[in-house]
Amino acid sequence: MFTALLPAQILLFAQVTATWYLLPLALAISLVYSASRYELPERILGRAIRLFLQIVGFMGAAFLILWVLTYGI
Amino acid sequence: MSSPLSNPLPPHPRPWEEKNPWIAGLFAVLIPGAGHFYQGRMLKGVIYSVSILGLFIWGQKLGEGMVVYNLPDRGGAFRHVALSYAAQLGTGAVAMPALIQNRRAEDPTNRESLQLLKPMTAEFTGRLTPSEEPDTGRLVGTVRLEPVDGQFGSELSGTFTGQLDGQPVELKLGGRFKLDKPIKAGFRRELECGVVDGGPAVDGTGRVMKGTIPRSFFNAYGSPPDPGQLDDLNKRLGKLYELALVFTWIAGLLNVLVVWDCLCGPAYGFGDEHLETPSAGKSAAPAPRTESPRTSDLSTEPPRPEARSAPKAPV
Repeated sequence: MFTALLPAQILLFAQVTATWYLLPLALAISLVYSASRYELPERILGRAIRLFLQIVGFMGAAFLILWVLTYGI
Repeated sequence: MSSPLSNPLPPHPRPWEEKNPWIAGLFAVLIPGAGHFYQGRMLKGVIYSVSILGLFIWGQKLGEGMVVYNLPDRGGAFRHVALSYAAQLGTGAVAMPALIQNRRAEDPTNRESLQLLKPMTAEFTGRLTPSEEPDTGRLVGTVRLEPVDGQFGSELSGTFTGQLDGQPVELKLGGRFKLDKPIKAGFRRELECGVVDGGPAVDGTGRVMKGTIPRSFFNAYGSPPDPGQLDDLNKRLGKLYELALVFTWIAGLLNVLVVWDCLCGPAYGFGDEHLETPSAGKSAAPAPRTESPRTSDLSTEPPRPEARSAPKAPV
């Protein structure tokens, strides 16, 4: 399968794979930041989930914009 | 139904205020989450230790143990601590060995050996060169070396016992010898030995055994890598090596928040200060259960109306 891919596509695939590592990173940042803001467990977890979704949403939006801008290059 | 204003809930206990803040701060600096465990804030301790140590260890694993090291720019503004390492140092005790390893690695006695000085036995993984095919010549086994008196002084003598491409083999070693620095990044130490006799199965003439033996954790952890090692890592891992660095940097920087929370937190209070009367809706005044006077000034959220100070919780 990979032999049929162009080098640029292989590079893109590698980048996308590395992008998955950002999810646990965002989760850890969300948890630690929220825990340093509040004391109650339910508030910490709720805030952490919201922050995680915001981070992932922002990254996803940035990814989409860059993907559209580089389409066909 | 009574409103929270008319029948306020008791204030949250703040057990951490009974603990010594200096000890808590020291624990938090050394081990992420340990300060909170000491203060009895177990959930936060678990969140901090798992998140931060998890990120740090994962970064180390991704970067094959060559991520956390201190190579300061002697001519720059930071003469003793590299900026990259300064961020990692925030993680605490797990990053601190690099401070010492940097000096140990710079010691003049830490250099490649071209002469064996004392007997050694180690597990060896490598190749028997020259091999015509890249997938052949794989050696796995045990190498035993010792210095012997020869015609021109101390010479190398030893054996390799193990497998060559899955087949049992015993090689007689001698002549060429090259052993990597003892203190260096990476948990494998390069070794080259000349082969003088490969037995009936292997033509040992002119062949060299190249591979690695284990490097002790004490000598490898936190030691700075050579430029060649960094080139190799970047070539093999690419973006993953940069991600590994980012993981350890973020872990160290997050622990700054943790230390602050241990000493002065939580920043916004307990998190239930916005309780409203169920019957009066949004127009009713909020009824905070507690408010930390020392942390409310640090809050970056909009000010909470009519927040009042809570009495100190009974022990």
